[in-house]
Amino acid sequence: MGTLVNAENIRGVYYTEGKDVVAVNDVSIKIEEGEVLGLAGESGSGKTTLGSIISLIARPPLHVEHGTLEIDGQVQELGGHAKIPRTWRGAVVSMLPQGAMNSVSPTKRIRHLVYDVMRSHDSKISKDEALDRARERLTTLGLPARVLDAYPHQLSGGMKQRTVTIISTLLNPRLLVADEPTSALDVTSQKILIEMLLEMLEKRIMSGVIFVTHDLPVLRTAANRIAVMYEGRIVELGPTEIMVERPEHPYTQALMSSVLAPEPAYANTRIEGMSTFDRSLFDAPAVIH
Amino acid sequence: MALAKFLGRKVAWTLVVFFVALLLNFLLPRIIPGNPVDAIVGGLARGGGTGGEQLEQIHQHYMQEFGLDKPLWQQFFIYIGNLLQGDLGTSFGSYPASVGSLISQALPWSLAIQLPAILIGWIVGNLLGALAAFKGGWLDRGAFIGSLFLSSVPPFALAIILLFVVGAQLGLLPIGGAYSFGLTPEFSLAFFGDAITYFWLPFWSLVLVFIGGQAVGMRSMAIYELGSDYVNYNRGLGVKEGHTIRYIFRNAMLPQFTGLALSIAAIVTGGLIVELVFSYPGLGTLLFSAIGTNDYPLISAITLLITIAVLIANLAADVLTGVIDPRIRAAETGER
Amino acid sequence: MSLRGLSLRFWVAATLVAFVFLVALVGPLIVSTNPDATVGGLYEEPQCCGALILGADNEGQSVISNLVYGTRTSLIVGIIAGLIGTAIGLLVGLVAGYRGGWVDDVLSAIVNVGLAIPVIVIVILVSVSLPQRNLYTLALVIGFTGWFWVARAVRAQSSSIRTREHIDVAKLSGAGFWSILRRDVLPYLLSYVVMAGILQISSAILFESTLSMLGLGASGTTSLGTMLYWAIQWGSVRTGAWWAFIPPTLMLTLIVFSFLLLQSSLNEVFNPRLRRGRAARKKAAKEGTELETPIEGDDAGPVGSGGFLETPVSAGQDR
Repeated sequence: MGTLVNAENIRGVYYTEGKDVVAVNDVSIKIEEGEVLGLAGESGSGKTTLGSIISLIARPPLHVEHGTLEIDGQVQELGGHAKIPRTWRGAVVSMLPQGAMNSVSPTKRIRHLVYDVMRSHDSKISKDEALDRARERLTTLGLPARVLDAYPHQLSGGMKQRTVTIISTLLNPRLLVADEPTSALDVTSQKILIEMLLEMLEKRIMSGVIFVTHDLPVLRTAANRIAVMYEGRIVELGPTEIMVERPEHPYTQALMSSVLAPEPAYANTRIEGMSTFDRSLFDAPAVIH
Repeated sequence: MALAKFLGRKVAWTLVVFFVALLLNFLLPRIIPGNPVDAIVGGLARGGGTGGEQLEQIHQHYMQEFGLDKPLWQQFFIYIGNLLQGDLGTSFGSYPASVGSLISQALPWSLAIQLPAILIGWIVGNLLGALAAFKGGWLDRGAFIGSLFLSSVPPFALAIILLFVVGAQLGLLPIGGAYSFGLTPEFSLAFFGDAITYFWLPFWSLVLVFIGGQAVGMRSMAIYELGSDYVNYNRGLGVKEGHTIRYIFRNAMLPQFTGLALSIAAIVTGGLIVELVFSYPGLGTLLFSAIGTNDYPLISAITLLITIAVLIANLAADVLTGVIDPRIRAAETGER
Repeated sequence: MSLRGLSLRFWVAATLVAFVFLVALVGPLIVSTNPDATVGGLYEEPQCCGALILGADNEGQSVISNLVYGTRTSLIVGIIAGLIGTAIGLLVGLVAGYRGGWVDDVLSAIVNVGLAIPVIVIVILVSVSLPQRNLYTLALVIGFTGWFWVARAVRAQSSSIRTREHIDVAKLSGAGFWSILRRDVLPYLLSYVVMAGILQISSAILFESTLSMLGLGASGTTSLGTMLYWAIQWGSVRTGAWWAFIPPTLMLTLIVFSFLLLQSSLNEVFNPRLRRGRAARKKAAKEGTELETPIEGDDAGPVGSGGFLETPVSAGQDR
């Protein structure tokens, strides 16, 4: 299994009134073929920002000061005023946004979005062709084809999230960046969605997934490797097993121990909280397994 | 079908409102103490224009026509009955002219100004607003300030200013009436050519204000939509900008339709005063003189007409909104 | 709300509004001429520098004096009517939205009918029927007929506030219906009410001037609208006596424009998402662009209603 995506030296800054906030502080990361890389951290750690930079949708007030993305031997400059080709979005790297609820325009049926996505990348495609491909994809992954004829408000939360997941991968992107895909779902729907993602990976619909979330237990079942971010930096990165059971960086340790799990081993254990910014955690050197 | 049910409800509602309006139209002038006919006739008598016997005749006529000697609810039915026959009554002030004839003379002139003003104003205004929102920058700033100003200017104020500047001072366009003195209205090119010069100023007074208002509204809506999640998602999937713009437009337009119905009420009202300013022989001037002579039947008929126009516009806008936004259809018919 | 949030537009608007009030309040003291006194001939031209600085009207009265007193009158009617309208609308909306149930159904039905029937029609019919028309009856009529849109907007908001947690807390602690409305619901609506109030006042001023121009104005008092009425009646336009109609027109435009500008600039303060430009976007980003949905009365408000702010458009408020 080789490297699918190589993201190097990314620095993302929010220009706001008064001061600039460095959200992603010179981060480099590789995603391997066929893997689900979990990107974890608390709110404000920069994980969502990193996700949006890698999925090529960063825009003001977020500025990418420098960084490169290498996929399939092609290097795309991300920093400064780099022009990112429109066709990369959705077809090379695709996004699965948080809150599928609002990601589809409420006044149009799903099939309109599907058609628009397909013909934006292949101007010659006919409506029927586009919808046929979508139907095929839907049935392969166990969703009813009539979803295409629905308006967003007619679908349930879980159904919407899965539909949007399929739309995000219609063009068989190399990498899918999923931003909190399970956060708004109930536990059953979460499980179904994760299974769907893994199935899609297996079927090579996409070749890699970055799973951004603050929900650690979910990563345990979904991710192959986990990267933990804190204050804009990756503080630890390693296989899920190690990250969950034997983390080495003090922040990761604190993070993992703050997870409530209804298991007997945790009975009578006190869960410690974390202070907002602990200098010692920030200064401890990053650990890459 | 959901749409048919939706339509049905809307029409039914409009009829209910119409009935209430009818009731008000009937009741309000009649709740003043005293007999209006006495007051009118008394007024005529004081005016010194009519003699005793004639007054007696007029008095009789009106008493009969309105059945003022009968109980209120019976009067209402007489009123409805007359309306259904298209009989709007006889004018007090221009006795014995019928209200219907007076209105039918004035109505076409009003429509000639208002309909194009509304249509053109709406289309141009919304396009301008959308453009300003998308392009941003200087176009946006200029268009916004300009539109804000235009939309806050009362139409009659603009009318007066235009009248003064273009009409009186520069003498470019005529300052009053609908056609040159001495000509008679007819469907000839010559007449049309002449009437058009009289048409411009009142028309521009209305249309500019309307454009301003629509542009400001559309711009806000478009800006709001531009920040939406679906726009972001579309971009994230590499959808061409042109396609996304169609989504934005559609969503931004919705409140504009609701606004259209309400703005129509505003434009119609504004139009009345604009006509006054230009002595334009439409419903506005008619209403003005009717008020001057306390001509209740005429006033009441004109207000009824205005109500009908606005209600129809409301209905049309509601229906259009329902057609465009499936959520509204769903909500209204209880689907969700 | 820091001063930083107040844009240039706000200050311009505030200055203009202040100017208008100044004219109305202080003007009559400066311009010592009685507006009803005859100071010159029919449409006498303006001359420097006393009572005839803006000439005389059709009755030979001082235009500048009438202008100043007229502004005062128009503002008085506007403010009274505006406050009445906002108060009624607020009350009805609060009760309907918060109470729900049949109370809401009945009130909403009334509001919807009121919204559907063009207000001007009702106002004309009532005014025509009044035995006597003075400032205050006029203000009452305008106020009592203009509250419908406020009610609808407030209702929508209060019914959404009803579902918030702090209401449950208040109920559990035994607070009464009116107490909850006053202390737990109202504060959230305050910003909206202020903006609605501004719109109401400006709309009322326009209504009054429209009525006056139609001849239904207050008898005995001069207002900006009645000045225009007489100007039209006596053909000042034809005779070129611009001083008879231009000053009141400009003044009316100034009043309406400044009020609307004020409302729109306040709106941008309360709804950062509507702001533009770098400074604006930065601010919105910093605040996380997390804010309530744009409430009615935003720029989509006095849309195309140059003459009449019948009902500001809602930004999806109906959904």
